[in-house]
Amino acid sequence: MVRLATDVGGTFTDLIAYDEETGKITFTKTLTTTDDQSTGVLNTISDACETSNLDLAAVDFFVHGGTTVINAITEWKGVKTALVTTRGFRDVLEIGRGNRPDLYNLKARTPPPYIPRRYRLEITERLDGQGNIVTPLVEAEVAEVADICRDAGIEAIAVVFLHSYIDDRHEVRCADLLRSLLPGVMVSTSSQISQQWREYERTSTAVLNAYVQPVIDRYFRNLESKLTEIGIDCPLYAMQSNGGVATFNDVRLQPLTLVESGPSGAIAGAVRIGQAIDAPDVLLLDVGGTTAKCSLIRNGRPQIVPEYKLEWSRFSPGYTVQVSVVDIVEIGAGGGSIASIDDAGHIHVGPDSAGSTPGPVCYGRGGTLPTVTDAKLVIGILDPENFANGQMVLDIASARTAFEPIALALKCSVEEAASAVIRIAEANMINALKLVTVQRGHDPRDLSLVVTGGAGPMLATKLGRELNVKSTVIPVYPGVFSAWGMLAALPRTDLRRTLFCEMDNEGLEKVRSEFQQLIAQAEQHFNVSEAAELHLHFSVEARYQGQEHSVSAAFQLNDTVASFLDTFHATHETAYTFQLPESPVEITNLHLQAEYKSDIIALSEIPKEKQSVIHSKKGVRDVFFGPDYGWVECPVYDRELLFSGCQLEGPLIIEEPTTTCLVLPGQVVEMTSTGLLVITELE
Amino acid sequence: MSNSPEPIKKVDPVTVEILTGKLLATVDEMGIIMTKTSMSPIVYEVLDFACGICAPNGDLIAQSNGITLFTGTFSYQVRALAARYKDDMATGDIFVTNDPFAGGTHPNDVAIIRPIFFEEQLLAYAITVAHWLDIGGTVPGSLPVDATSLFQEGLRLPGIRIAREDKLNDDLVRLIEENVRMPELAMGDLRAQIATVRIAERNLRDATQKYGFETVSAAFSEINESSSQSSRRVIAELPDGVYEAQDTIDGDGVTDDPIPVCVRITIAGDHMTADFTGCSPTTAGPVNCTRGALESAVKTVFKALVDPSAPSNEGWFAPLDVIVPEGTVFSAAKPAPTGWYYEGSVHASELVWRALAPLKPEQFSAGSYTSLTVLYLTGKKENGDLFVHIEPQHGGWGATSDRDGANALIALTDGDTYNHSVELLEAKLPVLVRRYGFNIEGGVGAGRHRGGYGLIREYEMRTDEASFFCGISRNSTPPWGMEGGAVGSCNFVEVQTAADSTPSRVHHHPNWQLQEGDHVKVVTGGGGGWGASEDRSITDIQTDIADGFMTPEEAFETYGLSQTALKMGEE
Repeated sequence: MVRLATDVGGTFTDLIAYDEETGKITFTKTLTTTDDQSTGVLNTISDACETSNLDLAAVDFFVHGGTTVINAITEWKGVKTALVTTRGFRDVLEIGRGNRPDLYNLKARTPPPYIPRRYRLEITERLDGQGNIVTPLVEAEVAEVADICRDAGIEAIAVVFLHSYIDDRHEVRCADLLRSLLPGVMVSTSSQISQQWREYERTSTAVLNAYVQPVIDRYFRNLESKLTEIGIDCPLYAMQSNGGVATFNDVRLQPLTLVESGPSGAIAGAVRIGQAIDAPDVLLLDVGGTTAKCSLIRNGRPQIVPEYKLEWSRFSPGYTVQVSVVDIVEIGAGGGSIASIDDAGHIHVGPDSAGSTPGPVCYGRGGTLPTVTDAKLVIGILDPENFANGQMVLDIASARTAFEPIALALKCSVEEAASAVIRIAEANMINALKLVTVQRGHDPRDLSLVVTGGAGPMLATKLGRELNVKSTVIPVYPGVFSAWGMLAALPRTDLRRTLFCEMDNEGLEKVRSEFQQLIAQAEQHFNVSEAAELHLHFSVEARYQGQEHSVSAAFQLNDTVASFLDTFHATHETAYTFQLPESPVEITNLHLQAEYKSDIIALSEIPKEKQSVIHSKKGVRDVFFGPDYGWVECPVYDRELLFSGCQLEGPLIIEEPTTTCLVLPGQVVEMTSTGLLVITELE
Repeated sequence: MSNSPEPIKKVDPVTVEILTGKLLATVDEMGIIMTKTSMSPIVYEVLDFACGICAPNGDLIAQSNGITLFTGTFSYQVRALAARYKDDMATGDIFVTNDPFAGGTHPNDVAIIRPIFFEEQLLAYAITVAHWLDIGGTVPGSLPVDATSLFQEGLRLPGIRIAREDKLNDDLVRLIEENVRMPELAMGDLRAQIATVRIAERNLRDATQKYGFETVSAAFSEINESSSQSSRRVIAELPDGVYEAQDTIDGDGVTDDPIPVCVRITIAGDHMTADFTGCSPTTAGPVNCTRGALESAVKTVFKALVDPSAPSNEGWFAPLDVIVPEGTVFSAAKPAPTGWYYEGSVHASELVWRALAPLKPEQFSAGSYTSLTVLYLTGKKENGDLFVHIEPQHGGWGATSDRDGANALIALTDGDTYNHSVELLEAKLPVLVRRYGFNIEGGVGAGRHRGGYGLIREYEMRTDEASFFCGISRNSTPPWGMEGGAVGSCNFVEVQTAADSTPSRVHHHPNWQLQEGDHVKVVTGGGGGWGASEDRSITDIQTDIADGFMTPEEAFETYGLSQTALKMGEE
């Protein structure tokens, strides 16, 4: 039987096929088709059939991830949508939080709402903050709203009433009425997708979900029928943003859960790698063409945050949505990041990127600005003759020319300029990696750094050394790791509910009873009869009375008030350096992570040969190690020819089809029995 | 590495870039610690705080800002402290200051300063300032709207050492605890601030361990030097000349008397002088600011002019001089009250803005609603606990040369400031919010591009034990228009009690006792327009009508467009 994953990225659509009997893995990469991504998915499948004899009839698990949902939103490709909300609050969607992060810009503004004011409609009804009905729903007004929607040709409606996270009866009743009045229009309530407080964030969530829902629904129906046509007849899953998968049917109703689908695949993969090397705490760095993303895995669990800020930047508040997303810090530093000198003579790397078109100068596709990838070619880490499995010859002369202006400004040689650019890119990444570790109270010395992405392994060992991690790990298939990770993900749902009360005996009872309801909801979601078929993980968001921001602390169903408070105080101290054991603690939200126990990808054993490592050596190459060391001759190895247990001391280079890894002097690399490269510092 | 004194060496640009990144990451991290751990809504929602790192000479090297009010107050405060303690500082010391007359703003803004040493040498200062919800004084929140003396505005901590060897001085802590309302909040913020400066110390020491004391020190100078060069280049490109602006501050909290203010800006080569000679004398009420806050206000707009997006440091302000005679509303001396200083100092920012806008119209907007329109709601919760709810409101910004003004954005003095979630508020406080939406009825400045809309936030009280006070400027002088655009609209608070048949409007009020069922409506103004209203496109007018921003009748009155013309435009 074969498990199949496809990951649609900005440039490439990746496929990984895993044969469960033989452990054999095949992968292909084809160009992403932007107008209809499913075409690219089908292309990559047919490519795999031709080149690797993929047997589609044998596929018993299919998972699909990628940028479909986020693209539909950022490219405004959703449907004509209306918002129906509590009287007096139609402008909440457009006001947002009113913040102006671009402090000194006198022309700053909030990004435009996805629904113009004319389709934001109000209905008389009101609940108070305790869930009491202050004003009953005026049903007669629903008919008027329906008329407006019908006349305007509205295709989807989000119904959002204040305090529906406590009691959604008004939302549900209003939606029912609208559905009966407007057949064919997709009507959804905010409580269907979020049961958390904060009216702007919940409104934004419901609106964006409604806005893309019909489009994504069509996309998945279309993909499903195409897959059936070519003979794939198995359960179909989509990679969600929470590190788990869900069936096509589930995500059709909640497309927003797919918003960070691709990066989440890499995190699921990193969790699996952590299990393989017996490292519960893993720091993942995924370096792509334009950005690098980092994320922390603690105790074998990805860190999930309850909110996602779409299109957020230092200068824009973006659009906040309440969906469970793996906690990722992203910075504008990737292989395609452009190096530049400003008027003041300062050198910068990124955030501008040459992307895939025109790409780095050395690709010879019209790029003229020097990038990180060009720098790596100039200093010898990349082999101009043997890039991407020899599919492309890199133009080293043009890359060197592109660095001349920087060399001139720095008054140094071209290779020194290139190595300076790499140092700056590395420093940017170190800052991001520290943000998710040291700054959140986690000591890098306890962590294994897993580095993926085509541009990652070349920088990995330097970052690992600077951060002082336990080990640096280059997993299998680092160039298509998100797709690989999707085969390591379990079916998963994250259920959250706002519960606002003090943590005392009464509060604890409420917590338990709410969790029992959430467990029942999870069982129903996975259609299982008992919770034993699920991995359940409970957490409670709580804070010291007076604080605004909550800390998520692990919760056990048999916790007492005292035992939970111990966990909470310790968690608070880890995150924020102090605890206030005397202060009352209040609960704000509950979070249940539920995973369906099922098989995932195994890492197959690789041969342990007695032969000399000399047979794995492909040649030698000079690499420039900065002005202090100059050019140093490094042996070059072929990863596919390395064997289990072999150990090599740096400096050296290991090449494989999708990437190149540089091991530094003073480091040793070991190939594990499952084919992972683990790099540590020599004593 | 040797620490022998050498002439400051020039650091290579690569190391400067790497250290700049580390410094910015550090001030960001300080900001994160501050928001996440603070107990005060004004810190974690309004982001009324800032964190920074200063060189041993006081020069600001890196700063994280949630708001603009602290643009350039740090250097002043650090220098004042360094002058007092000179060689009497050691590793583990922590200082505290909230003195408006030593570089501070108002007593609520408490700064914590940590000298950072590396191998016995002073490397830098870490500083963080946060608005404490209460610092004592005559009213909860410490900001009496009608204060006439600084002694009504709470406890002053005039640059004193609060910890040695990382041990807090218990006597001082007790003194503070006994002189503020809600001491647990104050101590929570103090703790958060100390955690914040310690993080900075750890990061800076790590960097210095790696790069060496001299390299890091030299990088500090280099960072400022290069910003200063960039800044001078921008000023040099502007035409030399004298540019002036006048405005009025609408009342000081004690009286409604207009307070005329003015600026005279001189650009000569790569230098700019902002001269506030001629402004009204220090007022009786608390809208005064001190020189430090004035400089901060001018620097805010100067930064908007020279480079709005680059990280802030002292270097950017090298080409700027601020001149003000003593004893004006912008240069108050002891014992003048300064509690509501930001309602005054914002006018200094706007004067500079208005004077410079014609030089770089593509970077400026027309006048905005200006005032933070802060309302303090205090009272008792159901369980009898005291609550103090401070709420700034967002409002309309002016139109720009290329589009309509921004709706409902926070005023210039703040920044990354969030509004309060209605759902959270109603879960905690005995109020219902009846309306939170655009202030359509108040209108905006018409023009080729119109101003942005302000807001209406309407509270219904669910208790008899509550009161409010407020201090709101731009209550009678509306936001200005540009290039023939119309003026915007004004800010006010409207109270409708059960007893009175007609609502009352106020803008400064020291204490209004509320009853259950009373409605309090905070109304913020719309921004000024840009360009003549007859040049507004029919499409823009039609869109405004369709979105309910105006009726066809109003379109006729404002833009002279009849129904027929509108219809024809549609075709």
